Amino acid sequence: MGRILIVDDTLFMRTLLKNILFSGGHDIVGEAGDGDEAIAKYQELKPDLVTMDVVMPKVNGIEALKGIKSFDPNAKVVMCTAVGQEQMVKLAIKSGAKGYIVKPFQAPKVLEEIKNVLGS
Amino acid sequence: MSELDAYRSLYIAESRENHENIVKNLLALESDASDEAIAEIFRSAHSLKGMSASMDFKGMERLCHAMEDVFQEIRNGNMAITHALMDTLLSASDAMEAMLDDIEAGGPGIPQDLDDLVDGLKNWIGRKTEVLPEGDFSQAYGGMGDGAVQGEPSPIGEEALGENHYRITLCMSDQCDNRNLRAMIILQNLEELGRIERVVPDRAIVEDGEFDGRFTVEIASDAGIEAIKTVTSSSDLKEAVIEDLKSPASSPAVVRKASLPTPEKEDERRSPQRSEKVEKGREVKNIRVDISRLDVMMNLVEDLVINRGRITEIAREHQMKDLDETLNMIGRSVSDLQNLMMNIRMIPLNHIFNRFPRTVRDIANREGKEVEFIIEGGDTELDRSVMDGLNDPLLHLIRNAIDHGIERPEIRQAAGKPRKGTLLLSARRDRDNVIITIQDDGKGISAGKVKQKAIERGLISEAEAENLSREEIIDFLFRPGFSTAESITDISGRGVGLDVVRTTIESLKGTIKVESTEGEGSKFELLLPPTMAIVTVMMVRINGRRCAIPVHNVVEVASLEKEYIHTIGGHEAILLRNEVLPLDRLDDMFGRSDRTDILVVLQHQNRKRSIAVDLIEGQQEVVIKPLSSVAGSCRGVSGVTIPGDGEVVPVLDVNALIKET
Repeated sequence: MGRILIVDDTLFMRTLLKNILFSGGHDIVGEAGDGDEAIAKYQELKPDLVTMDVVMPKVNGIEALKGIKSFDPNAKVVMCTAVGQEQMVKLAIKSGAKGYIVKPFQAPKVLEEIKNVLGS
Repeated sequence: MSELDAYRSLYIAESRENHENIVKNLLALESDASDEAIAEIFRSAHSLKGMSASMDFKGMERLCHAMEDVFQEIRNGNMAITHALMDTLLSASDAMEAMLDDIEAGGPGIPQDLDDLVDGLKNWIGRKTEVLPEGDFSQAYGGMGDGAVQGEPSPIGEEALGENHYRITLCMSDQCDNRNLRAMIILQNLEELGRIERVVPDRAIVEDGEFDGRFTVEIASDAGIEAIKTVTSSSDLKEAVIEDLKSPASSPAVVRKASLPTPEKEDERRSPQRSEKVEKGREVKNIRVDISRLDVMMNLVEDLVINRGRITEIAREHQMKDLDETLNMIGRSVSDLQNLMMNIRMIPLNHIFNRFPRTVRDIANREGKEVEFIIEGGDTELDRSVMDGLNDPLLHLIRNAIDHGIERPEIRQAAGKPRKGTLLLSARRDRDNVIITIQDDGKGISAGKVKQKAIERGLISEAEAENLSREEIIDFLFRPGFSTAESITDISGRGVGLDVVRTTIESLKGTIKVESTEGEGSKFELLLPPTMAIVTVMMVRINGRRCAIPVHNVVEVASLEKEYIHTIGGHEAILLRNEVLPLDRLDDMFGRSDRTDILVVLQHQNRKRSIAVDLIEGQQEVVIKPLSSVAGSCRGVSGVTIPGDGEVVPVLDVNALIKET
């Protein structure tokens, strides 16, 4: 089970995701509300995995992903995207995202993806 | 659904924040099409959409999606912000608010005209689509275009030492959705292990999903077969066959996937060590608390205040000096606690002020007026309970100012004023009060018109009117049933007049006054206590019994000169500095007292009245408890308070007393 950093600009989504990840036995080591905070928290907490929202104020998810990757090329980042954001996901994958989950979240799918990425 | 209900209040709270952000930035856009405002709206609509989808509020999701699409187009520069578009956006945002209200009340948040609203937005894009346009994302998501996409696989260089060549044949799982994206992730992961030399079918075809789920990758890597096995053990793959091309003799490694992941053992999930780390790592700066819980806490603090006083009294009665120090400490803690509770309940006025720019815009548009709306001091804080009652009166005053105060641009110009009228809404803290003013530079209140109307309505005789000061005449505006509007409009003429505004403000223990100069404008000033929970009262004794009078109702205290008491029409009145004030002895409440020699002058709605009391004990901050339903309503008493000595003291309802006359 992994130590996870949750990045999303809404408390609602963070709470939802946190509860899903907790129920899957993961530890939530931190939360961030924008890209800047995500990069800072990553450096501070060095989590096993990051769930990264895409649309966020200030620094968006893709930039944060790149920031984290430049700090730690082995970082495991899973993007949280909405339906219809395929181009976004492609861009994220080429920037080093290891997986993606689609909102609205379905707990089994989220947990399977996290497990997959943690195992790879 | 019940599972999601737990998130409902969080959803509502955060959705409202996002909605407010949308409205705020929409209005900002109208005056200046800044990229920042566009980005903010896009983000808020996107967040709202995501949250709504998670809660299964389909209506809200659709509407937010449509708005998000519109802003996508605006961001891409394909659409300009016009007045008409703004109207569509604002009505969509109005609908969002109504939908949130419905959802909060337990409904599904699907208005009847949802389809029209969604279509209204989509028509602007010119096509109906449920999917985000897959256009230029670098623009849509802000500055991440160039260099974001890593280049094509690195050019084939010299073969490195220890590098092996593998052919990996992969077959995507049938359960895997978006297999092109999953294949991309696997390719990307393989690329980290070495150099991809060939993909069949072509990589671009795989990435676009134009393949049957099978693809072959040839890779040169020094990472070893185990690393490749790990990458290809993804649950997205049904099968992976790895062949070492340098040693064709070796049998290919086959990774077969079980269709379902094996369930974890419950006890493996959380080790105590880990949870300790969680506590350290997570940093919570804000929490959300239901306001009703704060009310309960406030009540508990009030009980503490009362009992602190009681203990102090007991200690004094029994001369328990040893208790003094402890009591002091308790006293300080309780005061701190009380102050803290008050502060926690305080919210900045922006909470309601932020809704007004929208209202001003709408009214001004409808009335054909030009208005510059300025808000100042929105960070001034007020108790939640006061704030709740303040929205409607303020809205009414703002509507009045635009509707009746500020003139049409051409009239203003003719009068030598700027075409655009100014409406200022400001708030500030003044010692123990919060003062809110609403000031316009319109035509002001015509005392002549008011007087005429008052006579027409039979509120006053012509002869009486002659003797009234300008102030007194303007005060008629606050009388029930008075309106100077020439015609009833959709905006101000809703049958609610300034009398209701005054009643509401007074129910909040505040006062309202107006200053107006004809031709120059009007200024309404609201004086409000920052909180209603604790009130400063004057403790008096009447016929030996204690009674509390809210200090905000007390105008002055004077000695009762018996020779100035006259009887007018069967009622006592007293002459105080050339002013005749009705005198009340409150015999029916406290019994006749022959020791009264102090006069307390009370005021409510500019009307004065005096009462005779034995003596004044002093001022005190108290918590007023309403009378319980068992006691019913009691004439002249608005509630009770329990000061330190534990005695139950009635609080005089000055407003009701004065209204009786």
